[in-house]
Amino acid sequence: MKLLKLPEFFSLMAGVALCACAAQTASSQPPIADSSMAGDQAASELREHHRHHHLGGVTQFIAMSIDTLGIDDARLAQVDQLRSSLHVCMAPAGAVANKLLLAFADGAASGAIDTAKVDATVDQLNSAAASVPGCSADALNRLHALLLPTERATLVDKVQAHWEVWRQVNDEALGNGHEPGSQLAELGLELSLTADQVAAIAQTLHTPLAALAGRFDPNKAEAYVQAFTSAFGGEVFDARSIAANATGPLATHGSMRMAIFYENVAPLLTSKQRVTLAEHLREHASHQPQIK
Amino acid sequence: MKKTLVTMLNGALCAGALSLALSSTPAGAQVEVSISPPAWFIATASPVYYDGHASYWYGNRWYYRDGGAWRNYHGEPGYLHDYRGHHEQGRQFYGRAHGGGYRRR
Repeated sequence: MKLLKLPEFFSLMAGVALCACAAQTASSQPPIADSSMAGDQAASELREHHRHHHLGGVTQFIAMSIDTLGIDDARLAQVDQLRSSLHVCMAPAGAVANKLLLAFADGAASGAIDTAKVDATVDQLNSAAASVPGCSADALNRLHALLLPTERATLVDKVQAHWEVWRQVNDEALGNGHEPGSQLAELGLELSLTADQVAAIAQTLHTPLAALAGRFDPNKAEAYVQAFTSAFGGEVFDARSIAANATGPLATHGSMRMAIFYENVAPLLTSKQRVTLAEHLREHASHQPQIK
Repeated sequence: MKKTLVTMLNGALCAGALSLALSSTPAGAQVEVSISPPAWFIATASPVYYDGHASYWYGNRWYYRDGGAWRNYHGEPGYLHDYRGHHEQGRQFYGRAHGGGYRRR
């Protein structure tokens, strides 16, 4: 039997890979009623949201989960009212978070972000976010009472899904900036960054983001999410009985990550790119929930 | 000739890998590949409630949570098939283009 030469071996391996890909494709084709592009768009927008809006931790995940819970029309108004109550509780943190976004926008426009102002605002956000669970407990108890067991289980799935996405985008390792879906890759598309800019930004961000990651303990946040989801999935629920509260750390970490990102990105942009980035950040700051 | 040999080997290797996977399974056992909708999909898609489960149409199949596991229907239930024929999968968009998800559509 003749041994294969190197090119033939690689060809064979490529064939094996193709075979494996074909098998995988057969079981994960895009849905019919939802094209893969729309799926990617929703995923991209969700990542964008979780990178920029840090105000209520699990309460924020719950409010977002209600968006797609699929409640029947008979109870929709009541559930909407409870979601509004959650937004009312997050409003003080939301106001501070928006102030932060505007500080980033001003800094992006000028090329230098006022770090002292940002640090002071993050401290305010930490305090404001920490009060969200206590404020929202009554609304969550009423929500639990209003939902059917299947809907509670669905909400739990969604809260865990939001947490997973939040963690992916706020605790992700920084690579070379070309990883699909990474913050730098998506900023590159948003601002038409050159390859040299992406490389320079990735290099600049590496050390400060690594230092930030060392100050955040995702296990504490995980314990908080699990405490809520375990309790909410049960027949009896009292939000006040959940002792864990990682809302402040979640908001602080997400905001600090955003601060480090934009503080390091802004000086490396062209004036046109800075204007575009500032516009986008101001748009984020303008996003307000409808409170009924 | 060499190309033919490589092509044949490709096919044989694929078939071999498949048969190996099947032959290594105990008699009577079913092979179940664990696939579940990704987190971003669960977070942005509205489910359809059927048979006591929230079902999601993803990857050409209906998935539902059964305790701690995700499962799919091997034969599409008539209700879900009809539902799919008359409704689009509800999705939520949270980006700047959609007012951060707060804009009601």
